[in-house]
Amino acid sequence: MSVTSRGAGAGTVRSAPAPWDIRMRDVLVRYPNGVVGLNGVDLDIEAGQMVAVVGLSGSGKSSLIRTVNGLVPVTSGTVEVGAQRVDTARGRELRALRGQIGMIFQSFNLAGRATVLSNVLVGRLTHAATWRTLLGTYTEQDKAIAFEALDRVGILDKAYQRASHLSGGQQQRVAIARALAQTPHLVLADEPVASLDPPTAHEVMGDLRRINQELGITVVVNLHLLDLAREYGTRMIGLRAGTVVYDGPPAQASDAVFEEIYGRPLRSGDVLGS
Amino acid sequence: MSQVVTADGRVLTVPPRPRGRHRTVLAWVAVLAVLAVTALTMAPRVGIDADLSAVAGHWRNGASKIVALLAPDWAFFPRTVEPLVQTLQMAVIATAIGAVVSLPLSLWAARPTNPDRWSRGALRVLLNIVRAVPELLYAAVLVAMVGVGALPGIIALVLFDVGIIVKLVSEQIEAADTGPLEAATAAGGTQLQVNRSVAVPDVLPGFLNQTLYVLELNVRASAVLGLVGAGGLGLLIDAVRSFYRYDQLSLIILEILVVVVVIDSASAAIRRRLV
Repeated sequence: MSVTSRGAGAGTVRSAPAPWDIRMRDVLVRYPNGVVGLNGVDLDIEAGQMVAVVGLSGSGKSSLIRTVNGLVPVTSGTVEVGAQRVDTARGRELRALRGQIGMIFQSFNLAGRATVLSNVLVGRLTHAATWRTLLGTYTEQDKAIAFEALDRVGILDKAYQRASHLSGGQQQRVAIARALAQTPHLVLADEPVASLDPPTAHEVMGDLRRINQELGITVVVNLHLLDLAREYGTRMIGLRAGTVVYDGPPAQASDAVFEEIYGRPLRSGDVLGS
Repeated sequence: MSQVVTADGRVLTVPPRPRGRHRTVLAWVAVLAVLAVTALTMAPRVGIDADLSAVAGHWRNGASKIVALLAPDWAFFPRTVEPLVQTLQMAVIATAIGAVVSLPLSLWAARPTNPDRWSRGALRVLLNIVRAVPELLYAAVLVAMVGVGALPGIIALVLFDVGIIVKLVSEQIEAADTGPLEAATAAGGTQLQVNRSVAVPDVLPGFLNQTLYVLELNVRASAVLGLVGAGGLGLLIDAVRSFYRYDQLSLIILEILVVVVVIDSASAAIRRRLV
């Protein structure tokens, strides 16, 4: 549970916490409506990897990423991150765990009427006293962490603007800053560029890569475009009907591999282009 | 399958309209059923026995009152000032208290901001009861409990306001995108923290909108509440009506109209700034 920042210079927040690994054993996810999201997934993701999870919509990508921070409960099997069990965590324990795992969404999921800064400070909720949250005030240290996160994604100048006034790419950067403000051990990204145009998509993927390379944080990113998976992943996991059908280096994944993952011939829409 | 010829001569094969016939027939049956039920409710003995011939027989009685209403007694104005001010005070105080109570209750009553089905359901049942009771009945009971004056009127209005605001605002929360709430939950916030930091900023304009609307309703409602002794213009309305002074009643109605129009235009201006 090391949430304190260790490293050079007391008071600075630059040092990233140690990255976490992920271990999934025989994970089954069955939703209340009977749909099976994951069907017997065994997976080891090492700390510091940048993993691209590919598959068509409905293949279980979202289920996979959401079991890692407990947003989707597992029906059976075990999920561990770092040294902690996710599937058995409840209440305070689960919130503390989630507080150390950043998450980025396809539709950004910002409070549109709140300022950029307020949205990034959502990443500090587990560190903030409830009375402070209710009054809408944050400690100077939390604000400093939020500003630094905004600086890292290059939109510090937008701090006091309303989130909904930003472009899609900028909004996704705010979401990345919100995740970074958590000083996470692990970042999950669920189709982070599916709502963005190609150049912006590459910029946001570049931001995620820098988080992985410069801060050493483990990154798991869901994608459905094979060229993005090839370019940015250091490892690729292919999902189909809730099971892992490919696991290996993305560079070696031929078009035939993608056809196997997708269960159909490739189309022009399966790549982003640039 | 039917065929349509376009302007440039191509033939399009249009899929058949799904169950079109049945739907049209059903719609007509429904319209006729509504008409039949309406006619039935007005029929003698079975329904409410609405006798339209009575209108022809008695319209003169009403007409004389309408004539009196068309000539307001302006000299009556000074006596209306104090009750009018009291009505406004009641409306403002009740709206303020109602709004403060309603915001947390709205979050409590909406599914995205309160996943616990039981506490949410309990509050909803309570609010349905609060809304089902007419504010005039609250006022009548409260006058008996705390005495004649503005206080019972204010309490009755607060209950009325909470019922309305919580219903409308919680429905707004349920209709909104839950993505931001999910993101804050994923960041490890408690439900209280998530609601405060994400739900409140997004719901605030709608909430203020309903509050302004309720203020307008309160001005009108507080005039009625006076009829049972709960302060404000209503007491005066009751007095002048019992003396058949429709010219004075007319002035009071005009004053309420002016106040409502002023509040409406003011809230419209505020709303433009909010959105």
